[in-house]
Amino acid sequence: MRVNPNPYPDLLAAVAQTQQQIATDEQQIASGRSVNVPSDNPAAAATLIQNSDQTSQADQFQRSIGSLQGGFQNADSALSSVIVALQQAISLGVEGANGTVNAADRAALTTQVQGIQNQLLSLANLTYQGNYVFAGTANQTTPYVLNPSSSSGVTYQGNSGVNSVTLGDHFTLQTNVPGSQLFASAGTDMFQSIHDLIVSLQSGTGINNAVVEVGNASNAISTQRVFYGNALNQLNSQQTYLAGETTQLAQQQSTVGGTDLTKVISNLTSSQLSLQASLQSIGQTSRIDLFDYLK
Amino acid sequence: MSSLGASLAIALSGLTAEQAAISTTTNNVANVNTPGYSRQVPLLASSDPVVIDPLTLGTGVTLQSIESIRDPILESRIQQETQNQGQLGALVSALSQTQVNFSSTGSDIGTAITNFFNSINQLSTNPADISLRQGVLTAAGNLAAAFNSTANQLATQRTSLDQSVVQSVNQINTLTGQIAQLNGQISALQNVGQSAGSFVDQRTQLIDQLSSLVDVSVIPADNTLTLTTANGTALVTGQQSYQLATQSDSTGVQHIFAQNVDITGSIVSGQLGGLLQARDQQIPGLQTQLDTLAVGLANAVNGVQAKGFDLKGVAGTNLFNPPPVTGVGAAAGLSVAITDPTLIAASSDGSTGSNGNAEALYALSAQAIISGQSPTDYYSSIVFNVGNAASNATAEQTASNLTLQQLNDQRGSVSGVSLDQEAANLVQYQQAYAASAQIISAINTMMSDVINMKTS
Repeated sequence: MRVNPNPYPDLLAAVAQTQQQIATDEQQIASGRSVNVPSDNPAAAATLIQNSDQTSQADQFQRSIGSLQGGFQNADSALSSVIVALQQAISLGVEGANGTVNAADRAALTTQVQGIQNQLLSLANLTYQGNYVFAGTANQTTPYVLNPSSSSGVTYQGNSGVNSVTLGDHFTLQTNVPGSQLFASAGTDMFQSIHDLIVSLQSGTGINNAVVEVGNASNAISTQRVFYGNALNQLNSQQTYLAGETTQLAQQQSTVGGTDLTKVISNLTSSQLSLQASLQSIGQTSRIDLFDYLK
Repeated sequence: MSSLGASLAIALSGLTAEQAAISTTTNNVANVNTPGYSRQVPLLASSDPVVIDPLTLGTGVTLQSIESIRDPILESRIQQETQNQGQLGALVSALSQTQVNFSSTGSDIGTAITNFFNSINQLSTNPADISLRQGVLTAAGNLAAAFNSTANQLATQRTSLDQSVVQSVNQINTLTGQIAQLNGQISALQNVGQSAGSFVDQRTQLIDQLSSLVDVSVIPADNTLTLTTANGTALVTGQQSYQLATQSDSTGVQHIFAQNVDITGSIVSGQLGGLLQARDQQIPGLQTQLDTLAVGLANAVNGVQAKGFDLKGVAGTNLFNPPPVTGVGAAAGLSVAITDPTLIAASSDGSTGSNGNAEALYALSAQAIISGQSPTDYYSSIVFNVGNAASNATAEQTASNLTLQQLNDQRGSVSGVSLDQEAANLVQYQQAYAASAQIISAINTMMSDVINMKTS
């Protein structure tokens, strides 16, 4: 049986094949990725795109959480000051209700309570990063303005809108409480109560009732304030959850698209040996034929 | 009763025949590296005997013919596989280039989609902030740019494939012309009973080259052959070759004509077949998918914009310029319609701080707005399709290369020149030549003896 007398095309084809394999292995080692173009592993390429999208989304959620934390802390701290101011007003009121004070004393107390009223107005008109915090969603409008013709002395110009922000796959968080709810809930009204206290101190009658009114308003605001504490806790939990997600996604990316260095290096070594052997055998494939012996 | 003269003639026929055999061997050795050469074998036969009563006497040896050893069925299989290899080669090359556009480089469409929605999520935390609004516009611009760039790359590739089509057709025309000419030379020889030897080898080589370019069907006829494409369009009949022509259609794409009939759709194999498949099916398929994604995204975003209010409390307008109704060219032409960041409709009730509509925009990222898939899922399925097509074609190409290698090995074993064999033949013919020459010497001596016989 005759064999193909020209062995070189086959040998060279085998060499080319081995060199191609070596090139692929070297690229995987250098890039650290087993999927460098979609055809390397089409299904993995598709998975990696989704993985990358989810990882990037998780990073964005973390950034958004960071943006919101500052605002919540700021609001919570303002409300803490509100409560302190209201407690101060209550003390002043109790003092004023004492039978031993005279009109001049009550006038001095009134002035102080009016000072607290101004402070409360400032706090209710808190701004953060250029927006009014307690105006609902009308955050470019001053929420509370003085209005002598209103019974509480102020008018609320904000709205009752609330925002929510998506911070996870199935997680949205309400991000504000409108002033109309915050400062006037459960049958109480902060500004009304302060206004009533001032009037009662000025007239000298009904001070005790006014003090109780302020106390109720303060309690109501404490209850509303819980929203911010809760929100901060939820943000913390979500941060932890997202960190876990990110770790899992990184693992998935490594499993699906990363180079298995041990395996690839071992393949590379054996390919290089095989290449050496092929080249040697080509070199040694004798081109000695019968003509050399017919001298 | 034979004579010395007759013996001389016989010895001479031996010399002549062996000389011709040696010359055949020499030709084989000279052509050991000629591609496509089939080794030639001298067919020596005994000359017709004469009857001189009561004896039948031999008259020596003649060289009947010089045969090329080749296996036509093997040749035919090689041509078939060459067509396959040509087609796959063109397809793999085109798809390898195409899929680069869909690798994750940071400026690919997938990343741009994610960044666009991320910018909206950031806006949602502070919808009145101008710099966050500007961030959304920038991300939208980058998204449009990613679509434009990918669509343009596909269009450019299509144009370059088009040029390759024209080049292939030119090569085909050159080859069919050469084959027709060889047909003429071959029939001239075969019609008078001669072997056409290496002309046939050359023609086979040309047909192989033609096979790598286009699907070729070989139909042997009397001392000649006819070449057609797989669906029967004539390329060569005998000494006549038929040129293919290219002409661009209304969309600027080259079509192939044979005698004014458009045969573009019927070419399925060879390099031309692969180029046409990439140019007319693979790439347009991708372009359509990209357009679908662009249309779906643009329309969905514009739809949500319209339901909300901008920073001034006015109803939202289009963020993207509306894509064409047919969708054709949507990816290439995608562009952002607004430059004023206050026009982003983040608000759901007209107030400056409402983020309800921004949240609605963000929700699009997970909604099945593109043929039942979310934008990222749809994009990842495009990438899968491209990768899969390239991967399958590459695997088929590897198999085809292997098959062709084996077929060429078989061809080599049948038709390849073995120097060992030729050397052995040379020894054989040389000895026979020497023996005949020796006989002639002897006859010469005998004739001298006869002439020098004296009758006295």
